[in-house]
Amino acid sequence: MQTSLPSSSSSTDKPGMKHECGHRADCLKMIQLIVDGEATEQQLARLKDNLETCRPCIEMYHLEREVKELLTKRMEKKCCPDQLIATIKSKILTFS
Amino acid sequence: MSDTPTRDDDQTQQPDSPQPAAEAPARASYTDQQKYQIFNKEFMPHIDSMYNFAFRLTMDEDDANDLVQDTYLKAFRFISSFEQGTNAKAWLFRILKNSFINDYRKKSKEPAKVDYQDVETTYNSEDAETEHTVDLRAETVSDLIGDEVATALNSLPVDFRTVIILCDIEGFTYEEMAKILDIPIGTVRSRLHRARNLLKEKLRDYASSMGYDEESDE
Repeated sequence: MQTSLPSSSSSTDKPGMKHECGHRADCLKMIQLIVDGEATEQQLARLKDNLETCRPCIEMYHLEREVKELLTKRMEKKCCPDQLIATIKSKILTFS
Repeated sequence: MSDTPTRDDDQTQQPDSPQPAAEAPARASYTDQQKYQIFNKEFMPHIDSMYNFAFRLTMDEDDANDLVQDTYLKAFRFISSFEQGTNAKAWLFRILKNSFINDYRKKSKEPAKVDYQDVETTYNSEDAETEHTVDLRAETVSDLIGDEVATALNSLPVDFRTVIILCDIEGFTYEEMAKILDIPIGTVRSRLHRARNLLKEKLRDYASSMGYDEESDE
């Protein structure tokens, strides 16, 4: 396994890099916690290990970050129309 | 701003109070002036986020307008169940989410809505659990633009869409989301996980239909 040739996306792999991950589903859950800032110290430490030794984890991590960034930064944020703000403000004045 | 305190007779006992009646906390008694102050200083600053949330839920500008207006009027009416110094944004989002479920979801234009329970069951099934990673490359995602992700997001069942909006677009913590949605934090986690897998599938399908995912080195 450690002699496998680096593919185009893993040209900088160090020797010993894993190219198979036996627990992708669990790793993915952990990666999402980390990307969301919800992971424990222990989970962070574990991911740090994986990110140096496990190619599938590295790729999942990049994908999750990329998807999150797409949602965070590239989606249009709709702003509330001024007219609606004015309507709300005038309506609450008639309340109390 | 009048000083006739007549609000008790018709407004405090509405069944759609943002707080379930059973857990109605010691109600603060704010003066009218304090109410307007809280409304303007703590509620109004979130109006753009609220509108964006409403628009992403309803996918319609008129519905978003109505939903935001209803929510803010409700928030004002029930302002005495808002505790100053607590998380106003989460409190408002919770009211909006409840209004959406009660008033809008029924008449929403979502085509052939997938029942959330169905989807959850599907994703709980064994083959989904064994290995559910979507074959999508980070480089492909970085080529997508906002409109494309909006389309993918809109195609998700509303419960999945909601957790993604709250977490990724509005930046709520899992704990805040649990309160807004009235679900345990573990459910937040698993629903979000499934929602993202679904979203990635949509993005992958989209990318492959557009030929974005061809192998290319740069």
